[in-house]
Amino acid sequence: MHHRSAGLIRRLGGAEIAAVVIFIVVFAIPLSTKSVLVYSVLNQVLVGVVAAFSVWIMLRMNLLSFATPAFMAIGGYTVAIAGRYDITNAFLLTAGAFVLPALVAVPLGALVLRLRGTYFVLVTFVLSQIMQLLLFETPDLTGGSNGIAGVPPGTLLGTELASNQQVLLFACGLALLATLITALVTRYFRQHFAAIEENEILAESLGLVVWRYKALGFVVSAGVAGLAGYSLVNMLLTAHPSSFDSITAVDFIAYTIVGGRASILGPIVGSTLLVYATNLFGTHGQYAQGLYGVLILVVILAARGGIVGTVGTLLRRRA
Amino acid sequence: MAGQVELRVEGLARHFGGLRVFADVSFNLGPGGLMGVIGPNGAGKTTLINVISGRLPPSEGQVLLDGRDVTGQPAHALSRLGVARTFQQTNIFRSVSVRENISRSVRFGRRGVQPGLDRLLGEFGLAERLDEQSDKLPYGLQKMLGLLMAFATGPRMLLLDEPAAGLERAERHRVDAFVQHAREVGGCSVLIVEHDMDLIRRLCPRVLVLNAGAVLADGAPAEVLARPDVITAYLGGAEDEAA
Amino acid sequence: MHEFLEAGIIGVSLGAQYALLALGFTLIFGILGVVNFAHGGFYMLGGYVAYSCVSGLGLPYPLAVLVAVLATAGLGWVFELLLIERLIDDHLATLMLTLALYLIISTGVLVVFGPISMEFTFPVAGALRAGPIYVPRENLIVLAVCLAAILAVYLVLFRTDLGRALRALADDRAVGMALGLRPRLLFPAAFALATGLAGLTGALVTPILALAPGVGDPVLATSFITVILGGLGSLGGAALAAFIVGIVEAYTSVYFGGSAGALVLFVLVLLLLVFRPTGLLGRDVRGA
Repeated sequence: MHHRSAGLIRRLGGAEIAAVVIFIVVFAIPLSTKSVLVYSVLNQVLVGVVAAFSVWIMLRMNLLSFATPAFMAIGGYTVAIAGRYDITNAFLLTAGAFVLPALVAVPLGALVLRLRGTYFVLVTFVLSQIMQLLLFETPDLTGGSNGIAGVPPGTLLGTELASNQQVLLFACGLALLATLITALVTRYFRQHFAAIEENEILAESLGLVVWRYKALGFVVSAGVAGLAGYSLVNMLLTAHPSSFDSITAVDFIAYTIVGGRASILGPIVGSTLLVYATNLFGTHGQYAQGLYGVLILVVILAARGGIVGTVGTLLRRRA
Repeated sequence: MAGQVELRVEGLARHFGGLRVFADVSFNLGPGGLMGVIGPNGAGKTTLINVISGRLPPSEGQVLLDGRDVTGQPAHALSRLGVARTFQQTNIFRSVSVRENISRSVRFGRRGVQPGLDRLLGEFGLAERLDEQSDKLPYGLQKMLGLLMAFATGPRMLLLDEPAAGLERAERHRVDAFVQHAREVGGCSVLIVEHDMDLIRRLCPRVLVLNAGAVLADGAPAEVLARPDVITAYLGGAEDEAA
Repeated sequence: MHEFLEAGIIGVSLGAQYALLALGFTLIFGILGVVNFAHGGFYMLGGYVAYSCVSGLGLPYPLAVLVAVLATAGLGWVFELLLIERLIDDHLATLMLTLALYLIISTGVLVVFGPISMEFTFPVAGALRAGPIYVPRENLIVLAVCLAAILAVYLVLFRTDLGRALRALADDRAVGMALGLRPRLLFPAAFALATGLAGLTGALVTPILALAPGVGDPVLATSFITVILGGLGSLGGAALAAFIVGIVEAYTSVYFGGSAGALVLFVLVLLLLVFRPTGLLGRDVRGA
């Protein structure tokens, strides 16, 4: 009996179910405390996790993307610009924050997905640089180097999301949505992504239309990044180029690699730990990047599976 | 039973920069046919398979499937049309189980589970090792798994690249069994690139000899393998028959 | 008119600096297949080491520059030998390693020197005047040193056995190794050469521009686009592209201002990467 239920969980994806449960349970935190510190850290974690999911989806196919900040910018600025026109419906904004980056990802993907390995990394890095420059060069639309301040609070089913608690609850909602999307896509196409990750040529010879799945991954990854951008703007009530600096891609990549690239729980664990660690540095928050560097070294050299992978291996050895 | 397919290759050539891998290769492989392709190392045999199966576009010439021009189409399209190929190095998904390998092949082939697949799995000793990680299998079994994966996509034509390479003498008859099953139950035409002359003589009613990128001979093994220029090509290339 | 000439001289000077950075970067990519995310870090380190020598140890500036080069080259050598060598064929892993190194160097510099700009000035002041043309002496000296360094690199790579070996490995690693070239010695050497050049550029340029944590970031981006433009793995391409980028940058900033020039350059590089990954002069594409 135990055997059968274990098999069922494996088919539905134990890790995916756990991830969704985590982001349902997380709603309890803003409802049970008012601590400013907890609010701040949790909100940062929620943004980080969604951005890390964006990186993780592409990493399922062994493609390391530096483009997450660029797509986050599209999502975030869409919300901020919509706010200027008094569009504050949270459902609409959420849809826009997902769909617009996804649409942009279609032609971009057609261009850049021909490349593999380090070439793909370079191209996505250049994309992020271009987005940064575009933000500065279009002051009428994006506010240029000043960004867009005073983004109005969203409205959900008639209620204005103005209080800190409401803002955080909404961030929980965005994170849950991102988790559902990520879990569903990566679970349903698990075999396809895994085949591409391990041996693209073999997969294609067996009939897999590889470019289609790369494109799918890229588009979903962009949409999820857009949600992260919305979450960031939602937290800061400002859309500013410095929030979407191409160098922030390094943070999200660190969360994913250190947390563990083989499981959906990896980005969750990685973001939580690393964002928390950054906050421990207090005013010396920039030192955290050095810690990220050391952790990445450790993972790459000694513990490829990251935290989740290593824990998983230890548990299996004991079983 | 899958529909039978005819392969026609006309004036096929492939260059890499200044290097000519093969040129002016033409042949027909009729429905349900079986032919071997032999030649010394470096003759261009694997590249020929790469071109026909869509992994590489040809520099010149055409590939026609049932009269339809499929030249330059990508590998997944050729697979869709029923052309499956195997690889010289064992080409399986090494990090997952036998079961998962077969599952992926069936799913990507999108033609459902092929008749007789279970029987073949049993015959080759893979049925009792379905949950083993495939790179833990002995080499011979890994190769058989690769063959079965290609078959599991439901092809109408199989291009086998040195299926017996690395197999023990005792294991080689499995390739015979596989080819027989693919033809009789799956209705496949089969093209085999091989160095094992015994296997070629046993199985193939017809053999093409490639040497230095050109077709040297095309006919029944008995006469082709007796030709002096074929023998010279092999001796000159220091090619040893399967040990 | 004099603006035009001044911009040209600045452009050539920038080109020479970028050439040193790009040559190193493309060397590492061509020979090891590694994208050195830490390149900007070595540039920064070069500046800080030179600064420490001058203000902390009271060494004369030229000596400080030499120390900076040796330090960055040494660090590069050790890093390659101990860490990168282990994972040399896994391009994604080596990329992550260099990324991690960059994070560690950046933070290290921040911890030791603090976040504010250092008072690091070029020891030679004043400018040359020829009619209406005004060119600061420091730019000319840096230009001269960079050109000398480029010449030295050329001589090493094309006139010595070491250089020939490095170029052979860059051309075709498998063949090079089959011919007996020893990667255990040559790979760290290549890496050290590259990081040493980055350190040299940093030691020369930071007293003119700025020395602070974060000056390394744009260096990485510039190295990328220069090397991609010239063709990853091509030395001649890197040098040529460097001068093009330097001159374009000088003229667009004088005549257009803002980041319009940079934007055009990046879009161009993007299209190049997609449609002609070999760049201007590169050879076949190594799909990692």
